[in-house]
Parts: sequence; C-alpha cells; structure tokens
Amino acid sequence: MRCFEKSTRARAILTVASRWLLAVAAAVAPTGFSAGAAESSPAATTTNAPAARLHHWSLQPVVRPPLPRPVAGEIAAANPVDAFVGARLHDKKLGFAPEADRAAFIRRLYLVMHGLPPQPAEVARFLSDPAPDAVEQLVDRVLASPRYGERWARHWLDIVRFAESNGFETNRERKNAHPYRDYVIQALNSDKPYDQFIREQIAGDALGADAATGFLVAGAYDIVKSPDVNLTLMQRQDELADIVNTTGTAFLGLTLGCARCHDHKFDPISQKDYYSVQAVFAGVAFAERPLRRTLTEADQQRITELRGELAGQEATLTGLRNLAARNAAAGGQSLALRPAVNARLNEETFAPVTTTAVRFTILAAGGAEPGLDELEIYDAAGTNVALARLGSKASASGTLPGYAIHKLEHLNDGRPGNEHSWIAHTAGQGWAQIDFPRPTRIQRIVWSRDRDGRFQDRLASEYRIEAAGEPGTWREIASSRDRRPIGTDEPQAFLKHLFATDAATAKKLQDDLRRTRSQLTQITDGQSAWLGTFSQPGETRRLYRGDPLQAREVVAPDGVSVLGSLGLPVDAPEQVRRLKLADWIARPDHPLTSRVMVNRLWHYIFGQGLVDTPSDFGGNGGVPTNPALLDWLADELVRSGWSLKHLQRTILVSRTFRQSAAPRTDGLAIDADARFLWRFPPRRLEAEAIRDCVLAASGALDLRMGGPGFHLQKVEEDNVNRYFPKETFTNDDYRRMVYLARIRQEQDSVFGSFDCPSGNQVMPKRSRSNTPLQALNLFNSNFVLQQAELLAHRLEGETGTDPAGQAARAFWLLYGRPPDAVEQTASVAMIRGQGLPAFGRALYNTSEFLFIF
Amino acid sequence: MDPIPPRHPLLNRRGFLGHSATALSGMAFTQLLGRDGLLAADAERKRPLRPRIDPANPNAARTAHAAPRAKQVLMIFCAGACSHLDTFDYKPELIRRHGQPMPGADKLVTFQGAQGALNRSPWEFRPRGQSGKMVSDLVPRLGALADEMCFIHSLTGKTNTHGPGENFMNTGFTLDGFPSIGAWTTYALGSANDNLPAYVAIPDPRGAPQSSGNCWNPGFLPAAFQGTDFNATKPLRNLARPAGITPETDRSTREFLAQLNRHHLAGYPGDTELAARISSYELAARMQLSVPAVSDLSTEPAHVLKMYGADATGDRTQEIKAGYARNCILARRLLEQGVRFVQLFNGAYQVGGEGTSNWDGHKVLKDQYTVHGEVLDQPTAALLIDLKQRGLLADTLVVWCTEFGRMPTFQAGASGRDHNPAGFTGWLAGAGVKAPFSYGATDEFGYRAVENIATVYDFHATILHVLGLDHERLSFYHNGVERRLTDVHGQVLTDVLA
Repeated sequence: MRCFEKSTRARAILTVASRWLLAVAAAVAPTGFSAGAAESSPAATTTNAPAARLHHWSLQPVVRPPLPRPVAGEIAAANPVDAFVGARLHDKKLGFAPEADRAAFIRRLYLVMHGLPPQPAEVARFLSDPAPDAVEQLVDRVLASPRYGERWARHWLDIVRFAESNGFETNRERKNAHPYRDYVIQALNSDKPYDQFIREQIAGDALGADAATGFLVAGAYDIVKSPDVNLTLMQRQDELADIVNTTGTAFLGLTLGCARCHDHKFDPISQKDYYSVQAVFAGVAFAERPLRRTLTEADQQRITELRGELAGQEATLTGLRNLAARNAAAGGQSLALRPAVNARLNEETFAPVTTTAVRFTILAAGGAEPGLDELEIYDAAGTNVALARLGSKASASGTLPGYAIHKLEHLNDGRPGNEHSWIAHTAGQGWAQIDFPRPTRIQRIVWSRDRDGRFQDRLASEYRIEAAGEPGTWREIASSRDRRPIGTDEPQAFLKHLFATDAATAKKLQDDLRRTRSQLTQITDGQSAWLGTFSQPGETRRLYRGDPLQAREVVAPDGVSVLGSLGLPVDAPEQVRRLKLADWIARPDHPLTSRVMVNRLWHYIFGQGLVDTPSDFGGNGGVPTNPALLDWLADELVRSGWSLKHLQRTILVSRTFRQSAAPRTDGLAIDADARFLWRFPPRRLEAEAIRDCVLAASGALDLRMGGPGFHLQKVEEDNVNRYFPKETFTNDDYRRMVYLARIRQEQDSVFGSFDCPSGNQVMPKRSRSNTPLQALNLFNSNFVLQQAELLAHRLEGETGTDPAGQAARAFWLLYGRPPDAVEQTASVAMIRGQGLPAFGRALYNTSEFLFIF
Repeated sequence: MDPIPPRHPLLNRRGFLGHSATALSGMAFTQLLGRDGLLAADAERKRPLRPRIDPANPNAARTAHAAPRAKQVLMIFCAGACSHLDTFDYKPELIRRHGQPMPGADKLVTFQGAQGALNRSPWEFRPRGQSGKMVSDLVPRLGALADEMCFIHSLTGKTNTHGPGENFMNTGFTLDGFPSIGAWTTYALGSANDNLPAYVAIPDPRGAPQSSGNCWNPGFLPAAFQGTDFNATKPLRNLARPAGITPETDRSTREFLAQLNRHHLAGYPGDTELAARISSYELAARMQLSVPAVSDLSTEPAHVLKMYGADATGDRTQEIKAGYARNCILARRLLEQGVRFVQLFNGAYQVGGEGTSNWDGHKVLKDQYTVHGEVLDQPTAALLIDLKQRGLLADTLVVWCTEFGRMPTFQAGASGRDHNPAGFTGWLAGAGVKAPFSYGATDEFGYRAVENIATVYDFHATILHVLGLDHERLSFYHNGVERRLTDVHGQVLTDVLA
C-alpha cells in the first residue's frame, strides 16, 4: 500500500480535488477573452489526489466496448470507427460531412500516409477505377509502399528525440547512428508487431535486433566531462533521465521524468518508481558497439578454417620467437622480456611438469572484472588436456552473474571467443582453475580474453600460473613478470637474432597473421554503430531531490509499482532488466501501451489525437474526446497481433477519414477544431513533407533508401563542430528528408523554421506555426528556386511549349487535379508574362500545396 | 465529459478558445504543496498564465501580467565565461595575497584540474563615476558608466562547462532544447513592431556562440517565437529578392500567388490557419523592406560610427571591434524600432584555440583579454550612452551576462583562470533597476558568492519581473509539465528594482 501525502492538508486537497473532479465531469465551458489581453487558465486546481490518481481513466484495463446503436434514421455503420465517431457527433448535434471527391481523397491519403503527393498516373487510375472496393485497394497499395515506412518513421523519430549529432557545444556528428533509422523504417514497412517493436528497442541486443537499441541512446549526450565528480555524476543522472523519460513517454504516455526529484505531482508514480526504472537502464552507456551480423553456415565454416590457420601461424611464429630467444641467450644477450599480453592469444611455455591441477590467478586487469575465453593446457603430444570432455574440471573464484555468454564452463569448452567466455565477479582480479582427472605431464599453456579480438577490455595484465604440487602447495610455472608492459611491444626486435631465412619467414608470418585476423574480423564484426553499450551496473539508489550527493535507499530494477512489479533482485543482470521491462510494457493487458499507440496513429492521421497530449496520458494530460473509440482501437490493436497497418487500414477506409474537409457553419460554431470529426480537419504539412513534396513535383526526388544520411550543411570539424548551410545542391541532397543527417541545434536553413524538431527534446506533437521566416525561406531560398527551375524543365519536357498544357500538368503534379477556368487563365498569363520558373515558384508557395485537405 | 481543449493556443484553429477549467495547473499545485495554507487566493495567484496567441499574427503586442517597468530588453552575452575578477568584481585581498596559495584550493577540483596560486588581475582597478565603483582598466569606458549600472556580484551557476553554461544563462536549463529567454519574452508579450521580427539575435562577427542556436531557439515553443539571427555583416538569410529575379517578376509572382491563395481560400471560409498562412507572406513582404532599412548603417553619421568604434581599422583586433561596433549600432536601431528582445553576442564559438575567439582565458589570460576588452569596451559603452541619449533607456532593460565566472587562482602551470560557477557578476541597466547599485558579494578572493547569493533563476525571474511578467505563472505545457523559464526555482531580486 502506497501513501502519497499523509498530512491533514493533503486530505483537504483531496476534498477540493474531488469536488473539482465533479465539476469537470459536469463539463465546464471555455471562457472568453478580450482581444490582446494576457489571460490565465481559469478555475485550475488539480486532480492531485491519490485516489483520483489511482483511478485515473488511462490506468484502468482496456475493455472492448460494445458498438453504439445506430442513430435513428441511419443504418448501422459497417466500420466500428464510424459507429463510435457518429455517436459522439450525434451527442454534439453534429453529423458527418459528405464524402470527399476521389481526387481530394487520394491526395489526402498520400500526404498523410507517404508525405508525398500521388503521381498523376496513380490519380488517374484511381479516378477511373470501377471496382466497388477501389478505396480499399488503394489503401492497401499505399500501405504496401516503402514510402509508408519512411513517412511514419519520421513520426517515431520525433517521439524518441533521434538526431545524428551529440548536441551541446562540441556537437560532434554521429556518423553511424543511421542503422537505427533504417531499423525503424524497415520495422514499419514490414508491419513488425508493435509489441515486438517495443521489445527490440529496449533489449534488441538480446533479441537479434541490435540496431533497435539505438532508441536508448538517440538523445543528446554531453561529451565534455569535468574532473569535478559531482558535476559528472549529475551529467550521468541527466543521461539516465533522458532514457527513462523517453521510455516512459514513448511507450506508456507516462511522464516518468517528473518523478526524478519528488513523487509525481499528478500521476501515481513515486520517486522510488523513477529510480527503479533508472536501475533498469543503469548499465546503458552512450557509445558505439559493433552491429553483429547474423552468421551464415558458410561464415561459420570459414571462421573455423581461419581460426585453424591462425593457430598454425601463431604456433610457428612462437617457435621462431623461442628460437630467437635461445640464439640471443647463446650470444650472451637476452631478449629480456616476452611480448606483452594481448586479448587474442598468449602462450606460456615452460619445462614439462607433472601435476593434478593448474591455477591461473589474475592480479590486475584494469577496472572491470577480468575474463578468459579459453584456458588451454597442452601435454607433450599437443593435446589440450584442459578440455572438459577429456574429464577436466573447471573452478573459479566466482563468475559474473546473469550472463548466458559468460559462464565457468566456457573456460574449457573448446570454444574460444567472447560469446563463450568466463568472467570473474570481482573487479580487477580473480582466479580460475583446471583439475585434471589424473596426474598429467604438461608443457604449454595458451589463453586469451577474446580469440576474435573484438573485446580488449577485461584482459589480465598481471597474472600468475601455478601447478599443484604436494597437497596444499602450488608452484609457479609462468607469470606476467617477464612480459613487457602492454603498449611497449617491439614486434620486430626478435628478428635480429634469427638467420636471414628464418627472419624472412617470421616477417612473412607476421604479415599472414595480420591478414588472417583481418579476414576473421570482417566476418565476425559488423559495422560499429551508435547503439549504446551495456555493462553490469552497480547499485541504484534513490536520490533525495534528485541530488547525487544525497543518495538514499537502494532500489531494485522495476517498472511503475501501481502497474505491477518485475520481481527482480537488486543485482539482476543488466540485460535481464531491460528484457523484463520490455515484456512488462509490451504485455497485451497493459492499460497504457495499446491506448497510447492507437492515439498516436489517430494523431498522425487526423492531425490531432483522441487524447491531445500524445505522450502524456497522466493526470496532467488530456482526456479522450471519444473514450469508447480509444478503447475499441486499443483492443483491436492487441487482437490483431499488434498490427499497426491493420489499425491504419481500418481508420483509412472509414467514412470518418473519407469525409470532406469543407467547413460548415454548424460545425464551426459547435466544434471549431473538428475534434469530434464533423469534417476532415485541414492542416499544414510538416517540414519534411513539404521538402519531399517539392522534390517529388519537380521530379528530382531520389528514392534511395537507407544508409548514412545526407547533409544540408557543410561541416567544419574541430574541437567544437560548426555547421554552415549549403547553398547549392546536388542529386545526393534530393533524398527524402527522413534521411537528412539531422544536427542538433543547427536547423536546416529553409525547412527548419517549419516547427522542425531539433532532436533535443522528445516531440510527440509538433507546433504548427505560420511565420514570415517560413514565407521568406520558401519564396526566396536557393533550394526552392532551383526546384522551380527543375519543375520548369520537367513541364517543358512532358508537355512542350504550350502554356495551357504546362499549367494543367503543373496542377496535376502539385495538386493532383486540373486547374479550373480562373486558375487556367491566370496561370497561362503568368507563364506567358514571367516564365515557367516564376510560375513554379508561386505554386510551391500556395496554401493548397502546403496543406492537407 | 467534454474534452480538454488543445493545449497550444497557437494550434487551435478557430478562435483560439484558450483554456477551459480543465487545463490543470502544474505550477499552481507545486506551490500549493510547498507553502502553507490551502487558500484559493494562493492558488489563484500562482495559476499558469498562458498568453493568448492570434495564429494570424502570433507576435501581436500583448499586455503583461502587471505594469511593466521596461518594455524591451537588450541582452549582451559574453561567450566563453568573462572573468568577473578582471572586470567588475574588485577584490583588494586578492591583490594583497597575490602569489599565495588560496586556502583550501588544494582540495578544489575545477574544470581543467589543479590550481596554482592566487592571482591578482593584470589590470588595475580604479574608482569610476560619482559612485566611485571600482572597475578595472580592461573596460574603462564601461567603467565610466558605472553610475548607470546595477551590479549583481553574487550570481551562481549549476555547471562549469560552456555548452550547458550558455544554455543555462540563455534558456534557464543546462540541457539542450529549452526555449530561450527571448522566446519566452516574445511568447508572452509579442512585439510593438509588425514589420520586424519580435526577437533578434545578433551573433558576434567571429561567429555563433558556443551553444549556437540553442541561445535563441524556441525549444518547444512554436516557431513564431524563435530569435531571428542576423548581424550587421551577415544579413538575414532568404530576405532579399533573389539575384536573377527582376523586381517586376518578383512582384508578379507575389500577386499571382496571392490570387491563387485567395481563390483557394474561398472554398474554406473562416479557416484561420489558411488566413494565417496568407498573412505570413504579407508580413514577410513588409520585413523585406523594414529589415534592410534597419540594418542599413550608411545613414549613421560619422561621429556616431566613431563613438562606437565602427570606424576602427588596422589589425585583426580592430577589424573585429569595428564589426562588433556595427552590431551594437544595429542593436540600437532595432530597439528604436520597438523590437521586443535583442540579444547581442560578444565572443564566438571556440576557433583558433582556447580563449582566442571568446572569453575562455585558461592559459594566457592577459594576451587574450587585451583583445577581448578592446573589442567589448568602447562599442558597448557607446551603445549604452547612445540608448540613454535617445531616451531609450527609459523603456529598455539592459542585461550584461556570461555563462559563469573564473577562478581567483591561475591554473597550475598556466597564466589564466579556470571556470568558476560559484560566484560571478552580471549587471543590469536602464528601465526598472536601481543604479548605481551593487547587490551581493563574493568572498575576499572572489571565489564564491557569500552575500545575497543569487541564482541564474533569480536573475531570469528579475528580468521577467521588470517586464511585468510573473516567472512563476508564465508557462507552456510540454510533455506533461507546465514549463517555465525558471523551472521550479527563482526569486525576484526585489532589492535591485528601482
């Protein structure tokens, strides 16, 4: 049982709040204002009562509501969406608008779903399609197009504050953050079930979807750290707050970040809940990691071959090194120190000794827990007698808990590489031991941290290897004392102690080794990408007032307690934490997850959500205009197997979506914003869609998908990066704007002013301003003028020199319709008087081009 | 139950209804819990105030919450962290103990590491004006205006790195992505001039400040409230009629566009967003005339150019000074035209090495500050004098600030000062503030604010207060929070008010 405020005063607040809730339920009319005067929001107190918070509508289970009965005189709606919307309209004494004409419908559909205008041929096909289900077929074609994923990925990238630079004053580029964008586009295009989409973004490293975890680290990141530990601790707190808040708002519509310093003021989220969720992400670091490839069987085979070659080359080279050492010793010199340890392979040779056990004690290994991927012990016949399958037993000081890939049995399983390795549970030290089934004569040991060389950390830099003697005694057989310190190797030094032919062989072997290793790396390693790295975190404590210097009790990784618990211990393995949280969010009966997502779909289709605060379903957020519809959609999403396309299709073929955008007096009077959908509410296109539409109309649009983004700024790389707008553009710059390498703080000089988010904060709902800067950019920028020229060339190429034909074609390309008589006459006069580029420049600035109707 | 109307009045298409009773008051409740009493009057007093925005003219002038003491703001920002100890914060003990270790300094961890000895400023301090305020020889002309200034010597920051520091002073948050103080101001008040941007940011001739657009971006406020950035040498982008397009073609194109838009609008009677789109083109056309006019310094008489130092020639320093001086003249001309908020930057992002292009004097403070002082002093002083002479100071609040202060010690092995957010100086001048006046103080060495300690939140709260705005009520709903410039902090520094 949780208790928020216990004081008498809080109870008094509760009483006030309860009264207030009743007042809200009775519907309070908006107040009027006098022109030009500042105003205050009226009668605002708060729902800040524990009872109200727990009973908040969005936290109640989703129950599929029955379809409303048809309104008298109307036949039952075939589409449940229309039944629910129609019922609310009826309550408001309003009704649906007539159906929009086909030309208007196809243009709206394309702009909403692709952010691009329909091609004239597609319009013509639809206008003359006699099929009774022509609309349904068109919607299917639109949903199947790759343009759909690009358009809707941009929406998702707003919600998760994705951009491709670090932000803050250095603002370095993230040149390989793009795999996450590609992941989102592909996920949407393939209609990846939304629950899986959630799981992968939180824990894709465990689910074969590495690129998805770009979500976690998509936000700004301050690379300038201070030696002042207090400030650095606060920076880390800010980083984690960014992840916690984005996770809460994006998937749950919960503003978890509000509980960082105190219990949430409006929602049943305690400060402890905040730190519980923070503990889930406490092991996430803002960094790159290799994007693992999925290895084919051929890859596996080649890896085995290359590892064999590598072993042979290593062995021969070691022989030559030993020979050089002997030669040097014979000449009175000594190769005083052996090569430094390295992560890939280390060899110890010693005088043969008969023993029952070998112990490898790690004395230093940097700050992290040290690891060994394989400990091989060879007898004179060259057999690795340490192998478990030959009866040897491994033991150790301890093993880092919770990792399937790091286990004690991996020490002697014959499978080197980080994926099958042992890691100690103590920082910087630990021991591992192999007990043989019988006394065994041994003479060589080979060990490594990661035979594939991908991981250089956790490497034992100081160690001691001992063989068991009399019971309870150990004898040292090798150690790091005669090795060079790491980083001081002189790989060529031993060559001068060899005869010329041997030296040549050794040099060639070194080259071969390099080549073999690089071949191996090419197969095993994918590209590095900005996807975050993960390590086992220390304990997470609640911070009083969010102050790192005022740590309080330890909290276990968990979700928000009023919605159930993950049941994890304080020291749960890092990856398990994220997996559990992801499952908890993506569970079908979570009251928020499905509601929040269907509302986003509605928001991006109609320009406004059923809840007008798409990332805040808490007590400070909006209440749904049509709660029954919201719940029906949420239930339908889960029932459909979390298919976003199914939900979108259902909405797009509805009468609600197909109705006209024309205003009506009754509608404007009763519901000016058309929140109840008495018409399709028109709206201005977003920055990216405007740019894409300009390019599509001119024919310049480059539809290449995926990969690194293009730049609209020249980069001046220094300690502090600077970005300067490009003035001239090439074909590479004509890709869809979702592929723009978006630099934090540095908006595109033309389209940035169209309320384009910079990726510094999550942006679940963009503002829609109409400003003189936008007008200047669209009317005067080099970009638009160049496109007007390209449009002119296209019109000439496609229609010849007749202004009437050019005008008609331009209207089809930009508006998907022919000009009427007035427009035709004016256009011809304009083309004759000022030329085609000027005509195109004007068209690109028209309201009809820039709005969805 | 009726829904809550849209949160963002600007997005509200028809008649911008404003807010219903259900628009919850985050701040109101915070205050309610934080203070005694559950008085309706208290809740009333702290309710969020969201300005009512006309989408067709989002920057129309709006009235303040209370009678304003100033109508306009000139904010001068010195990028790189200008040292208070070499300009306005006189510390005799620092001079006396020059060369000695600072007590406790061995335990200090500052931005770049270890501290050397206490170091007096390379510049002498002298009494200035009637008040005898001690100001250094680095900025003698500004010093001569000390009687006009209200110094706040006890400012404290939250960060000791530049990006977050610039964000903090310009947006109230150390993180990226929050609205700048100019955006908040124009969101609240709009502008008196319909033909110019309501909010202009004037970058230094050497380039943008370190946090770049963060300093004037609208954050999550609508784009209508973003600062328009241009200076005397770099005109507003896309303002001019493009080269290669004749005036005749330009005019015909505009007319044709208007004709198509009117024709289209006839099918959507009463649509305010479409009307707003059309009026944005009309305002743009007016700006095409008014911005070049206000930026044209050719009409400034020679004696004015000379007073500002805009005629400076010679070495690179003099060229930069002349450029900055022209920006100062531009600032005055914008204020004359009623532009609500003018942000004037002195110092740029880091280029050519630390402290070369801005006030970040870590290692060779004397050489670098000799340049920066030369660039700052005369033009800024001339701007103040000019504003006063023209009567503009009666309605304009002038704010001088920087991201944080610097250490009284030199860095170990260097001849410059490390970052220090524990105590630094800003000053106000003009409408609404006491002058001459000094508020707060740092300790005997100028290391830490010890008397009337003030935060950047307090500084911001005071600026809004002078404009007639209640920093606890001016808010914008974003992502679950009624956001304010001052977050959940800030006290108006009533002692500095005239």
